[in-house]
Amino acid sequence: MIDITEKKERIESIIRACRIMQRMNKARPDARESEIIYYDMLSNYFTRLQNARDEGKFVAGHTVFFPAEILYAMDIVPMHTETTTWMISLFTGECADLLSAGTALGLASEICTPHRGLAGAFAAGALPRPDVMLWSNLICDNTAKSGELLMEINHCPGFFLDHPFQHSEDERKYLIGELDSMIRFLEEQSGQKMDWERLAEIIACMDRQIELFREICELRKAVPSPFHTQGFLELLTIDYLFPGQPEAIHYLETLRQELADKVERGVGAVSSERFRLMSFFIPPMYLIGFLERISQEYGAVSVTEPFFTYWGEGRLDPNRPLESVAEKSYMIPEVRMYGPLDDRALKSIVGCVEQYKVDGAIYYADVGCRHTCATVKLFKDILNDMDVPMLTLDCDVVDPTFTSEEEMRKKLEQFFELLEDR
Amino acid sequence: MFDCFREVNSTYPKTSHTLEHKRRGGLVFGWLCTYVPEEIMHAAGALPVRITGHNQETELEDGSAYLYVNNCSFSRSCLQMGLRGEYDFLDGVVGGSTCDGARRLFDLWRNYIGTPFHHVLSVPRKSTAEAHALYYQQVVRFKEHLEEFLGIQITDEKLLHSIHVFNESRALLKSLYELRKADNPPITGAETMEVVNASFRMPKELFNEHLKDLLRDLRASGHSNNSRARLMVTGSVLTNPEFIKSIENQGALVVAEDLCTGTRYWSDPVVTNENETPLQAISRRYLSKLPCARMFPSDERFRRILDLARSFKVDGVVSEIIRYCVSYAHDLPLLTDRLRAQGLPILALDVEYGTSGSGQIQTRVQAFLEMLGAKKR
Repeated sequence: MIDITEKKERIESIIRACRIMQRMNKARPDARESEIIYYDMLSNYFTRLQNARDEGKFVAGHTVFFPAEILYAMDIVPMHTETTTWMISLFTGECADLLSAGTALGLASEICTPHRGLAGAFAAGALPRPDVMLWSNLICDNTAKSGELLMEINHCPGFFLDHPFQHSEDERKYLIGELDSMIRFLEEQSGQKMDWERLAEIIACMDRQIELFREICELRKAVPSPFHTQGFLELLTIDYLFPGQPEAIHYLETLRQELADKVERGVGAVSSERFRLMSFFIPPMYLIGFLERISQEYGAVSVTEPFFTYWGEGRLDPNRPLESVAEKSYMIPEVRMYGPLDDRALKSIVGCVEQYKVDGAIYYADVGCRHTCATVKLFKDILNDMDVPMLTLDCDVVDPTFTSEEEMRKKLEQFFELLEDR
Repeated sequence: MFDCFREVNSTYPKTSHTLEHKRRGGLVFGWLCTYVPEEIMHAAGALPVRITGHNQETELEDGSAYLYVNNCSFSRSCLQMGLRGEYDFLDGVVGGSTCDGARRLFDLWRNYIGTPFHHVLSVPRKSTAEAHALYYQQVVRFKEHLEEFLGIQITDEKLLHSIHVFNESRALLKSLYELRKADNPPITGAETMEVVNASFRMPKELFNEHLKDLLRDLRASGHSNNSRARLMVTGSVLTNPEFIKSIENQGALVVAEDLCTGTRYWSDPVVTNENETPLQAISRRYLSKLPCARMFPSDERFRRILDLARSFKVDGVVSEIIRYCVSYAHDLPLLTDRLRAQGLPILALDVEYGTSGSGQIQTRVQAFLEMLGAKKR
C-alpha cells in the first residue's frame, strides 16, 4: 500500500502538469486561447476532485460514456475513471506501479490497462476514494465488469447502468428507467436531491455543446485543416469531463472562432499540409508530444475521427431532460461502435473519407481494446475499396513498455512515404 | 456407451444428422450464445445447432486476421471455421449482445460469410422486471423476424411442443449430472462433456433417445470412478473433452462445472403456466437461468457456484479462462475470495480455446492436486 500522503499525489501531479502547461502557453505568443482555457478546465476538474472530501462533497467514480450530466445536476463531484488513468499516463509518463498493483489483485494482463491500472490505483490508495461507483456496459466488457471489484476495493456502494445494445423504442424506455433508478440510488446515497431545473439547463447547454462540436468538425473539412493532429483528444475530454458545463461552451466557442479565423486566412494546423488523415481510436497517451512533432515534420494532420468526433444527428430537449440524457447516449460518436456494426456505422467511414478528403488512415490498435481491434480488417477493407491506405499501429494507450517512440516513428515514416509515392 | 455422442462431436459441424436434415430440405440455424432461445428456431421447424470452434487448439491465421489477435480464441476459431466454409450449410445465424467477442463475431460473420438470415438480440445484463420486459420484446422481435423470413407462423402449440422437447433434454441431463454426485460416479467429467457437446449439435429428439439409453446403461453397468480429488471447472466456453481428460488422467475427477457448455446450458427448465404465453415462459427462462459472468450482479452466479460446489462435494475448483475473455477475468478476484472463504482452493488457468491441457497446465494441475491431497491429510 502507498502511504496516506501519497493518496493525492497522482491527482496533484495532474494538476501540477496542467498548471505548467498553462504557464507555458501563456508565455507563448502563438498559443491558442482555447488551449489556455482547456488546461485551466482540467486543472479545476482535478482540483475539485482533490478537495472534494475536505469540502464535504459527495464523489462519484464513473466509467467512460457515463451520463455525468446527472451528477452535475445533483451537485455530485464526478471522477471520470478512465480519463484519470489516461491523464496519469499523459502527465507522469508511466504508471507501471499501478498496473502491477492491478495484476496483484488477480486481474489478468489481457484486461485493458486503463481498467487494470485504475483498479491498481484504487487498491494502492493512489486515487481519492469515491463515495459511490457508477459504471455501465457502454462501451465494452471492461466497462461493464469493472465496477464490482472497484466497489469492493473502495468499500463503497455502486450502481450498474445497463445500457441497451440497440436503438428500439423499448430499449430507449429501458434506458430511461435505468437512469431513473440510478437517480434514486444517488439520492439515497448522497442525501442530495436531483435538481430537475438544473438538469434542464445542463441539457440546453449540452445541446449547444453538440452543435459546437459539429461546427468544429465542419471547419476541419477545410484545406488546409485548421486543427492540430491530436486536437480531437481535447474534444473528447471536454465531452467526457464537462458535459453541459458553461466552461465547455466557452472553450468550444473560443476554439471554433480560432479555427474559423484560420480557415478564413487559409492557415492550416501544419505549415505545409501534405497528408489528410483519418484516425481510429486513441493514440498512446505517453506519445502525444511525439505524434504532434511528427505531424508537423511530415505535414500530416488528423482531419476526422468517425468514431470520436463525428456526432450523430438529433437535438436534445431541455423540457424532457431525462429523455435527452438517454438520447445523447445514442448520438455520441463512439456509440456507432457499440451496437451492431450495421450499414449506418460503416457508411460513416465512407462519408467521412469523402467529406474530409482523406488521403490515409491510422488505426491505433490498443492491445487491451478487443471490441475496437476486431474492426481493423473490416475498416481496412472498406478503405481499400476507396483506395485509401490504412496503417495499423499496435500500441497500448497507457503502458509505455508496449511501443517505443522509435518503433512508432519508423512505421509512420514508411506510411508517409507510401502516401507520398501515391 | 458414448460412441453415438463421440461420432457427432468428431464430425461436427457437418454431422450425418445435419447433412441428412439438409438433404430432406430442412433448415439449419446456428446460434452463438446460450442467451439465444433455441426453442423458437426449433418451433419454426429448423434444426438449431451451436456454432463452436475447432475441436482442438488450432492455428488461427484467418480468425486472427479478421478479428485481430486480441479477441478470444473462441470467437476467432468460430469465425475461421465460418470463413473456411465449414458452416456453409447454415440458413441463419443468431447472436446476442452478450460479450465483446460474441457481438464482434456476429458483426464479422454478417459482413464476410454469406449466411442468408442474421439476427442479434439485445440481452440485458440485469434480470429485473424491466429487464425481463425488454428481453421479452427482443424475443418477440426475433420470432417475428424468423416468421417473416420463413413465411410461416410459429404458433403457441409449436412453441409448447419445442419447450417439451427441450425440457426433456434438460431433465435427462440433470439425471446424468445427479449420477456425478455419487462418491464414485459412473461417468467421468470428460465423458459428460462429450454428451453435453452432442446435445447442442444434433436433433434434440434423437439426442434425448440416445441419452435415455445412456442413463439406462450407466445405471446397469455398476461402473464407478475413484479419484484422489473431486473438482469443479468454471470459466470460459470449453468444448474439448481432452482438457478435462488431462485433469482426470492425473487422478482427479471433474464432478461439476459452471460452463456455458455444461450446467449453464441445460439447467433451469422453461416453466410454463396458465398466466403466461409460451414465449413469455421461454423469455423468462433465458434471462434468469444460471448466469454467465456478463450478468449483474455477479453474486447470483457466485452463490450458485457455491451451491454446486456443496451439492457435488467438490474439494477444489479449476478456473479456466480463455485469454481475452474479459468478463470471467474481471470476476476471478471476486470469485477467488468467495471460494476461499468457504475453504475451497482454486487453480486459475489462462488457456486458449480448444486446449487439450498439455504441458504447463498438467504441471500446475498436478501441483494443485498435491496441495489438495496435503490439505485432506
